[in-house]
Amino acid sequence: MIDQVQWKAGSLEIWREGDGPTVGYLHGMVCAPGRQPFVPELAGRGFRVVAPSLPGYSRTSPSADIRNIHDWVFALSEIIDVAGLAGAPMVASSTGAMLALELAAVRPEAFSSLVLVAPLGLWREDRPVADPFSTTLSGQRALLTKDPAATALFFEDSASGDLLVDATIQRYTARTATASLVWPIPEFGLAERIHRVSCPVTLVWGSDDQIIDPSYADVFVSQVRDVRGRHVVNGAGHLAEWDDPRAVASLAAAAIA
Amino acid sequence: MKTIWFHLMPYPELPDDFTSEHRSVWVDIDPGLFDPRVGHRMYNEYIDELEFAASVGFDGVGINEHHSNAYGLMPSPNLIAATLARTCPDAALVVLGDSVALYNPPIRVAEEFAMLDCISGGRLVAGFPVGTPMDTLYAYGNNPATLRERYHEGLELILKAWTADDVFSFNGKYSKLRYVNCWPRPVQQPHPPVWIPGGGSIDTWEWCARSGYSYLYLSYFGYKAAMKTMQGFWKCVEEAGRPANPFQAGFAQFFGVADSEAEAIELYREPAEYFFNRCLHVYPGFADPPGYKTLATVRNGAEGMVERAAREASERAEQAAKKAERKAAQQSFSAASHMSFEQMVEKGYVIVGNPDQVAEKTIEMAKQLRIGHVMSLCHFGNMSRDLAMHNTELMATKVLPQIRHLWDDEWEDHWWPTPLPAADRMVPSPRPTVSR
Repeated sequence: MIDQVQWKAGSLEIWREGDGPTVGYLHGMVCAPGRQPFVPELAGRGFRVVAPSLPGYSRTSPSADIRNIHDWVFALSEIIDVAGLAGAPMVASSTGAMLALELAAVRPEAFSSLVLVAPLGLWREDRPVADPFSTTLSGQRALLTKDPAATALFFEDSASGDLLVDATIQRYTARTATASLVWPIPEFGLAERIHRVSCPVTLVWGSDDQIIDPSYADVFVSQVRDVRGRHVVNGAGHLAEWDDPRAVASLAAAAIA
Repeated sequence: MKTIWFHLMPYPELPDDFTSEHRSVWVDIDPGLFDPRVGHRMYNEYIDELEFAASVGFDGVGINEHHSNAYGLMPSPNLIAATLARTCPDAALVVLGDSVALYNPPIRVAEEFAMLDCISGGRLVAGFPVGTPMDTLYAYGNNPATLRERYHEGLELILKAWTADDVFSFNGKYSKLRYVNCWPRPVQQPHPPVWIPGGGSIDTWEWCARSGYSYLYLSYFGYKAAMKTMQGFWKCVEEAGRPANPFQAGFAQFFGVADSEAEAIELYREPAEYFFNRCLHVYPGFADPPGYKTLATVRNGAEGMVERAAREASERAEQAAKKAERKAAQQSFSAASHMSFEQMVEKGYVIVGNPDQVAEKTIEMAKQLRIGHVMSLCHFGNMSRDLAMHNTELMATKVLPQIRHLWDDEWEDHWWPTPLPAADRMVPSPRPTVSR
């Protein structure tokens, strides 16, 4: 079920799927509520998955108030309250995982546990995070998943007429929101705050991540207080839950349980 | 009609294999390709050319700002303008301009432009581009999601700094200044004329039309391809209820003048091919970052795509989208790469010919686009100083007299500088002879 909830000057889209203990899902650089396979995969393992779309993504209004990482973290803090996710476990991917860590650093009780799929937020001079926007649209798509077809729901349109115009605008707005999060470098001082993240954390990485090298997991393991697990999904790219929703759902379900 | 001699200041010694061995002339061009000795010669020759243009009768000299770019080597146009303010005593100084969002705080632009207006005795045209994505987002790291808001806020600060009677506080989202007090103040009151160089952004057309700023379409792709953009601008002017004064608009055009058309083709082929085939070799991945375009422009493009798809009903939308992406890529900077000089002339990228032919085509261009300001590029690519000056002299002495009259009997140019009377303007004093 997808709801539109009044939020700030616009509306917030929340996708709820399944029955059972509540677990959140926070998308990364792309978002396709109601159609993305990962959410039903996780829900099918006995959870009520609550997946809000961040400002600018899908049918959540973009917010002119969001100009920097502080604004983004504040927005996420409000969103998990509105969505009933405060204190619940959260599965978060890529930019969403970076935001979840930032929020957990300033509000340690925000999540009971975190499953992070290829989180951004740290920076290594020897292995810089790739720039997903120094490329064409099709080039970006190829960077995000091992199989570019995995993100067809976001990058391709089946609509026509006015609906196609709406879909084009929506995709552009979502990509703009991502750009606002990662431009020019997705590192905003998290390393100085990450020690405050107190909930259990599980790390999941696609073996073929072209955005942030899987070896970044070592840095997170060394800096996060309570890392309970570290997993690699073979044959998956940066957005591993799009490439292999079943494998990531299994790992997440096991970590949450 | 006013004609401004405009310089991009391209690096003249990119290697022959540049396009095959390097992916982009902009943003990540190999720093090893820059030879400072060439830079020394180039800047001095280019300043010579600008000064020569002013001396032979061009109405203004024009410059602009680019970064990490081998075809536009003016990271600071104000430095060049300061030189020209002293050495070009009568021409307008058209700085197109300072990319407001790149100055922190933007009050720096108000100060430097005011300095230029004072030094020149009120001859400054203040240009304020948003800036290309390559300059603003990739080379200078601005965030595309906030670039335009930052730009508009910066421009508001600059205009207020020039016109406020008292010291004031500016509490913006991006600039927070307890004390704004612009010293010096511009000679021109309330402020120098504001020109807005732009691409095809609908919002910029509407904003210029509504605010009464002059809109400059700085395309490199000739007047024939510019019709749609300029029609869009003039439609906005009409909707804003303003008169369609041609002086509210300008356009950039390459010119190559010689005694005959055949000679012009021979003389200008190499520099044009150098410019269009090497200098515009921009990696397409830098051209369209999300957030740079306004939503109105994106919507306009998507609606155009839908219309095309409707016309070709058998074609699937996805195919139409791919076609549109291909077409957009073809229209991007790198599209001109590998084009022959004949194609450039045919498409109107370069107007070449004898003076009468050039004058005729320029008038045709100005009437079609309805422009009162021509940014004439008489130097391009790796053109030598001698050839640039030859081109400039022919343009000034044989073309300008044929085109200058256009619009003058119908429209007044409200966007041209209003300097101090010539008798009140300072000129560089002769240096006293010192015996050693």
